[in-house]
Amino acid sequence: MAHSDIGSQLVNICSMLLLVTTFAIVSQRRLSACVDLFALQSVFLAVTAALVAFLTGIHHIYVAALLTIVIKAIIIPLILKRVIERLNVTRELVLNINIPASLLICGGLVILALSVTQPIKELGFLLTKDSLAISLAIILIGFFTMISRRKAVTQVVGFLVVENGIFLGATAAAYGMPLIVELGVFFDVLVAALIIGIFTHRLQDTFDSVDVSKLTGMKE
Amino acid sequence: MIESAVIQLLQAVVVLVVSPFVIGLIRKVKAWLQCRQGPVLLQPYYDLAKLFQKEVVASSSTSWIFTATPYILFSSTLTASLLVPTFLSQVPLNFAGDIITVVYLLALGTFFLMLAGLDAGSAFGGMGSSREAIVAALTEPAMILSIFAVGLTAGSTNLSTIVHKMALSHGIMSDPPPHLLALAALFIVTLAETGRVPVDNPATHLELTMIHEAMILEYSGRYLALIEWAAALKLLLFLTLLSNIFFPWGIATVMTPFGMAVGTGVWFLKVSGLAVLISLIESMFAKLRLFRITELLGVAFILSLLSLVFYYILRVQS
Repeated sequence: MAHSDIGSQLVNICSMLLLVTTFAIVSQRRLSACVDLFALQSVFLAVTAALVAFLTGIHHIYVAALLTIVIKAIIIPLILKRVIERLNVTRELVLNINIPASLLICGGLVILALSVTQPIKELGFLLTKDSLAISLAIILIGFFTMISRRKAVTQVVGFLVVENGIFLGATAAAYGMPLIVELGVFFDVLVAALIIGIFTHRLQDTFDSVDVSKLTGMKE
Repeated sequence: MIESAVIQLLQAVVVLVVSPFVIGLIRKVKAWLQCRQGPVLLQPYYDLAKLFQKEVVASSSTSWIFTATPYILFSSTLTASLLVPTFLSQVPLNFAGDIITVVYLLALGTFFLMLAGLDAGSAFGGMGSSREAIVAALTEPAMILSIFAVGLTAGSTNLSTIVHKMALSHGIMSDPPPHLLALAALFIVTLAETGRVPVDNPATHLELTMIHEAMILEYSGRYLALIEWAAALKLLLFLTLLSNIFFPWGIATVMTPFGMAVGTGVWFLKVSGLAVLISLIESMFAKLRLFRITELLGVAFILSLLSLVFYYILRVQS
């Protein structure tokens, strides 16, 4: 009992670290720092997944953890870094919502996530009771990042944060999805990152800026 | 009774002796990271000894506040650090005040330092004071809330009780989600309150953006020595809070000589480890622009608030 107790607290610590890095992403203006923080978050996610795999004895979660490291912590950040280098945009200067206000809103989103998952968690026999709430909070904050930022690169980071939140929820609450689904999701995310990278380049070529609000000017 | 007094006196001596060392350690590690030899570890002691021998020069336009501030600052900081458990989890003086006392003893020192910065009437002092007011006002709620979050688990606002209960359970492992948020918040507060790099640069007297150094620019001689020593004590106090609230392993929970000796050693190692971490951060990050400091402290405030919310929603209702 004591063994699994410490194990579940370790999973809790790791999922909490994911939430803390999400807040760091929200408060960060520099695009490359956002990407670095996303890579760090993915490393924490991989550690969480590996811990869950170790504690439950389900081996295919190890594969998912390894894929998380390779794809989300190495390949996607490299792609995004190259995009940022070529675009010559280093920081987000115009925000839809300023940073202190978005931090407050994100705090509200966490409270929302906690109270929404409150009735559900009594029903399950989960390894960790808090991870579901934390993953929902990360998903909501990821959505919020996509709404509140204007640069295409930070929107991609927001999208990837949402993906990390979903993966955390799936691992911690449901002990992972079937391996084939996980492989599909990883491939999806990789392709999405590539496509959005190309899309960002086209945006830069057409408008000389990666501000997605410029796209509304496309309509006649 | 006499035993308690001896232990309390011992703690005062230990924090007074160790605090300049922590400053020296941070400088030394920073120098190593910049491929320099750096000053010797004992340099802060030599500096203090030198400053105590120098004569005091005070501007003729200053009032009694300028003279009184170094003593008020030093004594309030020393009193605050006597209330924080270092090597023994239950400080004999713990009846005298809880965490709120500690926070506001520090705030008293900061307040007089701000007044003294204004007192000399130089442009730099006024700038430093107004900036310090911003930082102090923003760190205070984050600091109080983050320690309250741990206090809720321990069921007390008394620091000795908190540290004692944390030491008997598993420290941060006893309830990680709120404690981790509180730890992150308190760490940011530590950097801001002690004037470390993302907020203030302690290594320069020549920048227009300086905060702490701008306020004490007019001080010299033994006054400056007292202020610098108080700053070192404050840094040590925050590092002690961080290490003993969240990682209380090794601290003596009963009054035995052997336990306290081990406690002192472990405490010294933990504080040194945190000092090395701070010097790593100082080498890796640039100082934030003044108007961005509110964003960093906003993060600290939100994290500490969330740690309280976590406790209430996830622990009390279930």
